Amino acid sequence: MTKKNYMKMVLPACGKNESFARNVVAGFTVECSPTMGEINDIKTAVSEAVTNAVVHAYDREEEKNLIEICADIDDDSVLTVSVKDFGRGIEDVEKAKEPFFTTKPDDERSGMGFTVIETFMDEMDVRSVPGEGTTVVMKKRIGRSKDSAEC
Amino acid sequence: MDYKCSQTDRVMTVAFFGDIDEFACRTLRSDIDAKIVGSAPKEVIFDLNGVSFVDSTGIGFILGRYKKLCVAGGRLKLANVPPQVDKVFRTSGVYSVVEKVR
Repeated sequence: MTKKNYMKMVLPACGKNESFARNVVAGFTVECSPTMGEINDIKTAVSEAVTNAVVHAYDREEEKNLIEICADIDDDSVLTVSVKDFGRGIEDVEKAKEPFFTTKPDDERSGMGFTVIETFMDEMDVRSVPGEGTTVVMKKRIGRSKDSAEC
Repeated sequence: MDYKCSQTDRVMTVAFFGDIDEFACRTLRSDIDAKIVGSAPKEVIFDLNGVSFVDSTGIGFILGRYKKLCVAGGRLKLANVPPQVDKVFRTSGVYSVVEKVR
């Protein structure tokens, strides 16, 4: 039986949805029998991307400020997740990906969000257009990561 | 997210329960800071055994409390760190700043 599957959801960019979003994507992967470590890795990476959208993409939390989350699994058990916002965008993506870089140090932001995603997933791509929004795409093969299994 | 504070002499233990994410930290920072200021402990131990999830917001939360305690002459330690939390903290180098015990 094919493993192919996909999901898509759109939700307001607000703090209470951070937990909901990461748990939905983690639940979506269950059919591939991920290890607990892999589930934790995926939850953590999705949480980072969604939190970035909540904290940085929009000036305030309003119902019209949206996050679109898509996920799919292919026949090789590779999970692809995209987290897209329609907010202010990132001027310098490479700078934003540097460890400890944050535009909000006074808010105790660690600046480790993208670093955590890169570490916990197999691939990460950040596409951003200032004034239009940001999309974070991440991939992880489920079911063969020794490090994750040992987490 | 919930927490429970206890204190013996000047050692305060804060046990956390649930997810430490951006949403939780909005209130958690000021709550914990108020507890610490109110009892002026020499040492604070964050017992993370009951923490089900943490992301990089949790790193900021830990380092923020560490800095404030240092300024006040106290110190922070982390205890009973679960695997998911441990991986996030190891990735970000938290243990090079804040001691992990137990």
